[in-house]
Amino acid sequence: MFSPFHNVTANVSDTVRQYEKSNSRPVIGVMPAYFPMELIEAAGGYPVQLWGNNLSIKHADSHLQGFCCSVAKSIMELELRGSAKMVKAYAFTSLCDTLVNLREIYDRILIKPDVVLPLPMTRTMEARRTYLETGLESVKTGLEKVTGSKITTASLADAAELHGKTRELQRALYQIRRDSPGLIKNFDFYTVIKAGFFLPRFEYNQMLTDLLGSLQNLKAPEGKRVKIVPTGLVFDPMDIFKIFDELNIDVVDDDFANGWRSVSKKTIQTDDLVEGVSQYLYQASPCCCLYNPDIDRHDYLVNKIKDSGADGALFWYVNFCEPDAFDAPQLKERLKKEGIPISSIDIELTMTNFDAVKTRISAFCEILEG
Amino acid sequence: MTHFKAISTMKEIMTNYYVEAKTTKEKPIAWITSGAPVEFLYAMDIIPIYPENHAAMCASAHQAMDVIDVAESAGYSQDICSYARTDFGADLSKGGPIGGLPEPDFLLCSTNICKTVIKWYEVIARRKNVPLFVVDIPFLHEGLTRGLIDYSISQFHDLENFLADFTGRPFDKDRYDEVLSLSDKATIKWTEILGLGKTIPTPINSFDSFIHMAPIVTLRGTQVCVDYYEELYKEVEERAKNKIGSIPDEKYRVLWDNLPIWFKLSRLGKFFAEQKCAITAATYTNSWGGMSAGKWDTEDPYELMAVSYLYNYINLGFEERINYLAELIEMNSLTGFVMHSNRSCKPYSIGMYRLQEEVTKLTGKPGIVIEADQNDGRVYSDAQIETRLEAFFETMDPI
Repeated sequence: MFSPFHNVTANVSDTVRQYEKSNSRPVIGVMPAYFPMELIEAAGGYPVQLWGNNLSIKHADSHLQGFCCSVAKSIMELELRGSAKMVKAYAFTSLCDTLVNLREIYDRILIKPDVVLPLPMTRTMEARRTYLETGLESVKTGLEKVTGSKITTASLADAAELHGKTRELQRALYQIRRDSPGLIKNFDFYTVIKAGFFLPRFEYNQMLTDLLGSLQNLKAPEGKRVKIVPTGLVFDPMDIFKIFDELNIDVVDDDFANGWRSVSKKTIQTDDLVEGVSQYLYQASPCCCLYNPDIDRHDYLVNKIKDSGADGALFWYVNFCEPDAFDAPQLKERLKKEGIPISSIDIELTMTNFDAVKTRISAFCEILEG
Repeated sequence: MTHFKAISTMKEIMTNYYVEAKTTKEKPIAWITSGAPVEFLYAMDIIPIYPENHAAMCASAHQAMDVIDVAESAGYSQDICSYARTDFGADLSKGGPIGGLPEPDFLLCSTNICKTVIKWYEVIARRKNVPLFVVDIPFLHEGLTRGLIDYSISQFHDLENFLADFTGRPFDKDRYDEVLSLSDKATIKWTEILGLGKTIPTPINSFDSFIHMAPIVTLRGTQVCVDYYEELYKEVEERAKNKIGSIPDEKYRVLWDNLPIWFKLSRLGKFFAEQKCAITAATYTNSWGGMSAGKWDTEDPYELMAVSYLYNYINLGFEERINYLAELIEMNSLTGFVMHSNRSCKPYSIGMYRLQEEVTKLTGKPGIVIEADQNDGRVYSDAQIETRLEAFFETMDPI
């Protein structure tokens, strides 16, 4: 049931190349995070999400210092190794200081075009709106130049429906996991979500629909199992989910930027695109990288963890991610006050030895089992 | 370090500034980032307090590591900016040279120096339970645009409303104009002082200006700031006229990119002097030196304000950074440049290897990147840095 998804994540380059050819759409590499891929789709592009990878760093070190996160480094490594030849252009948002400067480096060393959607970080609503409007116009023009196709009202509405459908189906999968912890192995679950980074929407939606159908009559394993909610930027390295599976730990919900924070975003309303994108960015789950005075991230996470019935929360920290590192101490304190047990793991996407992580998770698991 | 008589005035005004802030019963206190539009605060009689300035002060006094330890024990990772860790630790322990900062009534931060400040100030806002006002001044990927200026101005107006609500008084436009004029005067004077660095031998080097920049950061918009730089200017001008260099036998002239290494200011100052190398320009001190002048054709005070806060070195795209560095090298007759790859400042540092390569290609002048940190001494090695610098000096042609 999960093998088609595993095939995709095990053969990313081949998959992308195959669909690039069969769908005749230029591949646009989408940098972390929250770039509305509907715009790429509407312009006739093929959005492929880049959330980092596990390549060992050989070339990116000549541009990025040791204090840059492995997300940025591994994405750059992919390009510098010549493994991202199929990517015709990049789409950035101004998510963090590292990515802002990474775009500048790309601009100097690559001949590939890029578009940047600056994310307004203001409480001034009118300013947010007008700034987004300018940003979206510039992105649309840039994408049209890359693909050679115009973004029309109809193409935008179709793209919004297609991408909205993806997230709706993913949310259904999340709901099944919440309702039946353990029904889907953690490694399988995140493979399904990860496959979506690389597949065209139509094909992915079909696969998700089939999967949801197959899951209908299955039953979750019996007995007491440990339930957790992880929080962090990206749900890699995937080997960690194998450790969870081994230890009978069920992730019942998550707070990953490329997990629920993205999946929770509703269908973009395109009749007023600026308002639609504004809601897409700010009215879903809060993110440590996105200033949003309207939602208190502490309250949000406390409620999320309690609602999920989790036994504890796991801070999944990608080294050198400053936005996440700033939030963590106060957030941990708040969760402790609420009686929610917590633990944390420090990771690099490029790590190959998981002994320390496993020891930590095992210890946490024992505590939660009481 | 060059001895300027004005240093005693600076010590006095900075002491007065902190004493007033620590003892005031009437004036509200706002904690503010170094690149935020402070003029709005002075116009409403609000005392701005700069955690960055305070953190630099802790490091210069060799007290940063003690408070950094406190912050790290409280859970703040070594991965976050060492200024933030210094301030968090000083606040938690009431440590540092002035026993912590006066409590804030609200916070004002601007993103033109980094996005990190939002996270930093969110932590403070939560800890102190005070309002946070963010003025988003976006990065200039493609230079100045009308959209960016309008976006900034729109937030300035919102800030005026916020301040009026906060103080219970209408925003004082007349006072604001006066403050703006004082801010301009101080900026012009500071720019003129830095401009005298062009003189051969340089009468003021960047180790000096790192120290003397405190008032332009903290007191910009006040008469005392204007008076101070007028006093300092006279001294520097006199030295320039008489060709008195900041170091004996100036042989090399270089630029410093990024923040200083505060806890090594004295040792590095001595080391550079021994090597007969004067740091005659620094992008950091220039960031308060009217970089935006002539960049946008307008006389509208709000537009000028927006442009001055947008067009700040660290907020510029690489094309403009490279051209600016090349211009400084040319203008100051430099023999090379030193880039501080600062673990605590990603926007200043990431991409630096590429910048070094391009600036050398453009100017023909050698450059070096040294790996360090503005406040965290654990990532600094005297032997390693000095050996690398010595090797670099050998690659330069003397003036």
